[in-house]
Amino acid sequence: MAGNFWQSSHHQQWILDKQDLIRDRQHDLGILSEEEYQKIFNFFASIIQVLGEQLKLRQQVIATATVYFKRFYARNSLKCIDPLLLAPTCVFLASKVEEFGVISNSRLITTCQTVIKNKFSYAYGQQEFPYRTNHILECEFYLLENLDCCLIVYQPYRPLLLFVQDIGQDDQLLTYAWRIVNDSLRTDVSLLYPPYQIAIAALHIACVMLSKENHKPWFAELNVDMDKIQEIVRSIINLYEMWKSYDEKKEIQALLVKMPKPKPAPQR
Amino acid sequence: MEESILRYEKIDFLGEGQFATVYKARDVKTDKIVAVKKIKIGSRLEAQDGINRTALREIKLLQELQHINLIGLLDVFGQKSNVSLVFDFMDTDLEIIVKDNTIVLTPANVKAYMIMTLRGLEYLHQNWILHRDLKPNNLLINREGILKIGDFGLAKAFGSPTRINTHQVVTRWYRSPELLFGARQYGTGVDMWAIGCILAELLLRVPFLPGESDLDQLSRIFQVFGTPSEETWPGMKNLTDYVQFKHFPPQQLRHIFSAASDDLIQLLESLLALYPPSRCDCTQALQMAYFSNKPAPSIGSKLPMPSNISKIEAEKPSLKRKLLENIDGGSLAKRLQF
Repeated sequence: MAGNFWQSSHHQQWILDKQDLIRDRQHDLGILSEEEYQKIFNFFASIIQVLGEQLKLRQQVIATATVYFKRFYARNSLKCIDPLLLAPTCVFLASKVEEFGVISNSRLITTCQTVIKNKFSYAYGQQEFPYRTNHILECEFYLLENLDCCLIVYQPYRPLLLFVQDIGQDDQLLTYAWRIVNDSLRTDVSLLYPPYQIAIAALHIACVMLSKENHKPWFAELNVDMDKIQEIVRSIINLYEMWKSYDEKKEIQALLVKMPKPKPAPQR
Repeated sequence: MEESILRYEKIDFLGEGQFATVYKARDVKTDKIVAVKKIKIGSRLEAQDGINRTALREIKLLQELQHINLIGLLDVFGQKSNVSLVFDFMDTDLEIIVKDNTIVLTPANVKAYMIMTLRGLEYLHQNWILHRDLKPNNLLINREGILKIGDFGLAKAFGSPTRINTHQVVTRWYRSPELLFGARQYGTGVDMWAIGCILAELLLRVPFLPGESDLDQLSRIFQVFGTPSEETWPGMKNLTDYVQFKHFPPQQLRHIFSAASDDLIQLLESLLALYPPSRCDCTQALQMAYFSNKPAPSIGSKLPMPSNISKIEAEKPSLKRKLLENIDGGSLAKRLQF
């Protein structure tokens, strides 16, 4: 939806304060280090991305699902709901909200099963995707409640397109910046900053990577809080730094074991 | 959310639609009267789809919109796939008022309803949302005489030039000619046409174009406005469901709405222009002479209410007045003693 970002629930309720976010994660950060926590979110963002691609969703829908996922755990511990259940639930709800058309529940479950088996066996081994339709439906409602019914999420893609147009159409620049926006979904920036700032930060990084000196005046003339842009840039660069020395395939199993989990349902 | 079930005490059954049952309830927490819309689960197959899509549309849009002339979403609760939405309680709607023969609608009343409707719709359109189901029944009115647009189950974001929309929207009598011809790319014009039909209905007190089928609907439209040609409506013949109609000459609207003033006829004509791009938008409509000319629109408290509601209303002020009189009388006497 286009609408008005400044009056939206996204702007008014869901641009969070960094200190609050750290405080709300206190429980999980007692068990996991901050870096381990980020790695786990990185992993589930990948699951959402791959699930979305397998279901042939548009990137907009995938991004919305990822933001739902992050918003949920911004308020709840990982032990509240198994992220392996919440991830497909976010995809399911986002596809409905974005009016993507019908994904049948059986198709969603089957896709989860094949994706876990074929793409993430390095994390789950021989273990099958354990959830069924009824779990997703129950979880969907819980998700809606924890989002405070705020369903419309603004993404950096639209402002990015406008900015690139304004700079002077440059397809290479757009492609790079677009990918950086996709990567930014693996950081906390979508919880902390408005999407237009994320778009500018992504453009900034892309210009540096491509050594596009000629766009400097464009940035200089922007009437934005450059400190904020720098904070976003730093978060994304930190992610890239982390990736350099991180082998998810080797480490993720141990992290998933360490992750706080829901208490198992009482045995009957 | 589950504790919310206890928060709302059912008072009365209000109605049942295709997707939902609506109850009047008391919010125990605030003592406010609200309307609770309980979404039906429907078939097993629908239940598999999780939270009902119609309800989701209402939730996601109303969560972002705040305007005095749009219904307010107060709360959402339920369990699993069984969702209930809590709205402002509205005493009546424009359909009931139009059908109530004991109510006289003065030109000032009609103008007041139109202003409130157009303001709410203008805000919606400014937020790039089409309502797509405007009809008297969805224009809700409370006892303060405030009109609010309700039922966002069909509302949708518009403006994406590549997006294909369904044309099976809007209750037939209020459906615009481009929708009836199967247009898949349409804009605010579909809502403007519906407003035109509603204005006509306020004047005639019966539905203006009560078609019995989609073809009959078009036929009725053309009998009034004349059959369009490729000159008056370029591109009409390329619409998916276009069919050739018998040639009807256009009629003079002032012959149909003989009691209407000239400025009102002018508004009707621009709301009900056959060629969609010629139709006015809300902002243009609100700037037309009709809204600045006399008579001034009725203020909320002067707008009529159906008899069963105004009775309650009548009791209340009289009781209040009695109390006030007592207090006034009492205090006045005391003051005199001082």
